[in-house]
Amino acid sequence: MTTPVFLRPELFEVDAAGRAVLVGSRCEACGASFFPRRAVCARCRSARVATVPLGTRGTLYTYTTVHQSTPEFPTPYVLAYVDLPEGVRLLAQLVARPGEVRIGMPVELRVEPVREADDGRSVLGYRAYPVEEVTHGDGVDHRRRHDEVRQAP
Amino acid sequence: MATVWIIGVGMTKFGKHPDRTATDLGIEAVLEAIADAGLDPGRIEAAYCGHVFQGMVTGQRILAQTGLAGIPLTNVEDACSSGAVAIREAALSIRAGEHDVVLALGVEHLTGRFRGALAPDESDVEAAVGLTMPALYAMRARRHMAEFGTTREQLARVSVKNKRNASLNPMAQFQKPVTVEEVLASRPIADPLNLLDCSPVSDGAAAVLLCSDRVVAQVGRTRAVQLAAAALATGAVEAPPGSMAREELTARTARRAYEQAGVGPEDVDFAEVHDCFSIAEILRVEGLGLWAPGDYPAALERGEADLGGRRPINPSGGLLGKGHPLGATGVAQVVELVRQLRGEAGVRQLADVTVGLAHCRGGKAAGVEGAACTVLIAVA
Repeated sequence: MTTPVFLRPELFEVDAAGRAVLVGSRCEACGASFFPRRAVCARCRSARVATVPLGTRGTLYTYTTVHQSTPEFPTPYVLAYVDLPEGVRLLAQLVARPGEVRIGMPVELRVEPVREADDGRSVLGYRAYPVEEVTHGDGVDHRRRHDEVRQAP
Repeated sequence: MATVWIIGVGMTKFGKHPDRTATDLGIEAVLEAIADAGLDPGRIEAAYCGHVFQGMVTGQRILAQTGLAGIPLTNVEDACSSGAVAIREAALSIRAGEHDVVLALGVEHLTGRFRGALAPDESDVEAAVGLTMPALYAMRARRHMAEFGTTREQLARVSVKNKRNASLNPMAQFQKPVTVEEVLASRPIADPLNLLDCSPVSDGAAAVLLCSDRVVAQVGRTRAVQLAAAALATGAVEAPPGSMAREELTARTARRAYEQAGVGPEDVDFAEVHDCFSIAEILRVEGLGLWAPGDYPAALERGEADLGGRRPINPSGGLLGKGHPLGATGVAQVVELVRQLRGEAGVRQLADVTVGLAHCRGGKAAGVEGAACTVLIAVA
């Protein structure tokens, strides 16, 4: 396996199973979490800050469809701030049609190739996907990934 | 604390100046400020120059051609707050007793420098996933709409008011009023914001001359305006993050400025605030405490912020109407405060104003609410 090219090296780590995961910081003194990771806790200034994997499920806080951007980003695309349960708000591109996006919807973060580097290797970044809530009243989690729902006939 | 006085102001017309340079624009503004003060330029002891994208020693290029070469000069960068930070540094040097007469200027030449939307620095992790400044404010607009019921039409009213004010300001980039319908029909940039919700790409320069009590006693106070507060703060890391429909950074900066000036928001007669986007003016005035959170959109509809309203906001036309040459913006805001407080604002002159406030907020860094924020208060 070739060494992955990360969108920003400080945002990722490779876990024991060889998968790239998004990481942030958790203060071991006061429990505050941060993204991107940082050397000192911004709340209590403790230097006892651990690098921890971020949760992959969150709630959409706000969003926009970008129609004009910088030359390296083809438009349109949807940007969203996602609130994670650990108290982190992170910006991601959301893979969804504008009409189906709403504040408060559950989303899932996935680490995946987002573009090609100059040497042809793929650049690993992250994107958010809507998670469909399917209620059957039987206590079973029927949430499906957005792309599975989209491909349904 | 020693009082700081503004005794001279100058600015170029804001707009597209493809055939001029930042240096050229800076010279015009500096010479006007010196002439306006009626002071021997040999008495200027130091200078501070705010700019963002103009390159090394921009201020020195301007001093060299205005008879001021040789004095200490500091170039200042704090994104869209750069010019206001230059004024604050100049004021601090006077308060510290180091200087008696100090020049603060701001310049920016952006025509031909950008394609597309302005974005945070490319090293920023949010820029890496495609954040632009219009997109950030679009997402904040959507939160204001969700939390307070603000409507798309109310956002448009900010642009309509500021472009109407600009049409009365010969120094403004836009000289024609627009309608709500025209704002809503303009090209989408980052929904819900359209082209006419966004400040334009602009070139321009502005300069102010500041002095101490000792000097103002010599030149006379007739046209002098007191700089009663110059507060600066940077964005805090919020854990957990707060509401993007609020401006904790602006509120924190304003508290410090009100304390310095010995006034409260109720004493502010008018304000120039950082309306880089239509939603931004709403966020700013609510953060400054000039209106309660969520109250400004309805106040706009009632005309409270119009030139003839109870507290005019952005009488110059603001960034939306006058233009937004980044480094010059904070200085030009103070030029407007001084002209209004002196009664020299022509057809857009406000009645009975004694306390004016200027607010700038610049930049974005991942993980913080905002990069730099300034609140300056001028008193007639």
